[in-house]
Amino acid sequence: MAPLWLGVVPFGVAYAVLARDAGLSLLETQALSVLVFAGSAQLSAVGLFGAGAAGLEIVLTTLLLNVRHVLYGMALGRTVRLTSRQRPVAAYFLTDEAFGVAAASQRRTFAFLLGTELSLFATWNLATLGGGLLGAATPSPAELGLDFVFPLAFIALLVPLVRTRVELAVALASGVVAYVLARSLPGGLPILLTGVGGSLLGAWLTRTTPAPPAIDPASAIREVA
Amino acid sequence: MSFWATVAGMLVVTFGSRYAGLALRAEPPPFWQRFLHFVPIAVFAALVTPSLAGPSGEGEMRLAAAALAAGAAWWTRQLWVALAVGMGVFWLLRIPL
Repeated sequence: MAPLWLGVVPFGVAYAVLARDAGLSLLETQALSVLVFAGSAQLSAVGLFGAGAAGLEIVLTTLLLNVRHVLYGMALGRTVRLTSRQRPVAAYFLTDEAFGVAAASQRRTFAFLLGTELSLFATWNLATLGGGLLGAATPSPAELGLDFVFPLAFIALLVPLVRTRVELAVALASGVVAYVLARSLPGGLPILLTGVGGSLLGAWLTRTTPAPPAIDPASAIREVA
Repeated sequence: MSFWATVAGMLVVTFGSRYAGLALRAEPPPFWQRFLHFVPIAVFAALVTPSLAGPSGEGEMRLAAAALAAGAAWWTRQLWVALAVGMGVFWLLRIPL
């Protein structure tokens, strides 16, 4: 399981470097990792901050990206017994990786779930701190072209998710539509419209699939955010 | 909306999604389960293409580096390898010959 924690580190560093590049202070960069603790949503948020998107657009993009946690929570809630006091704690620290580990493990207790979650929380926040300091020490991020880390990171997140023809079609269509929309619409609107439209397209194209795709712990681990 | 108001909004929608799943007993209809499955694919793709070319007129180099990074992500499924390949190729291509 060690590769899981190691995999979080470069992602956290990349996030923090980009956050500093987008003009966030060290405190603001760290606050997102403590208070939101959702890698892909944090990364997209700093990209949108940098592009001057409205706060509401950033919040709605975050909702769109994180609403998949509803499915993880439901799968976990069926297998791990949680009291009403434990539930909000388990929910606050829940991530794809923690879900993947907990779902794949035989030890389905609150203590094991929380231990997994907190170890990922600590790793993510230390990587954020390291990346934030690194970003401050980098003399000219623009000259180095560090903004290129942003599309690269999302390519790295996207590619492992694309396994079927429909998934490839949705990815290509979304990429083209967002590119076209971004030429005329400001801020985060192209991402939001494309995110909803592309997901509707995927759900419609798979309408004849008898059962919805089961939540596979291995794929949750691969989703890395 | 100020930075901190935006962060508060992000906190609410993220915690809300995580808590709702643990607290809910009913499953969403199959169509919406499939919708949720495609959300990361659609959003990640939508985040890539508008930012790919960049502001500095080095679009072709970045496109080539991104294609190799995508290949590296496909083969290794490791984020850090894709970042290293993409940035490494980009920096190599930028060296003036």
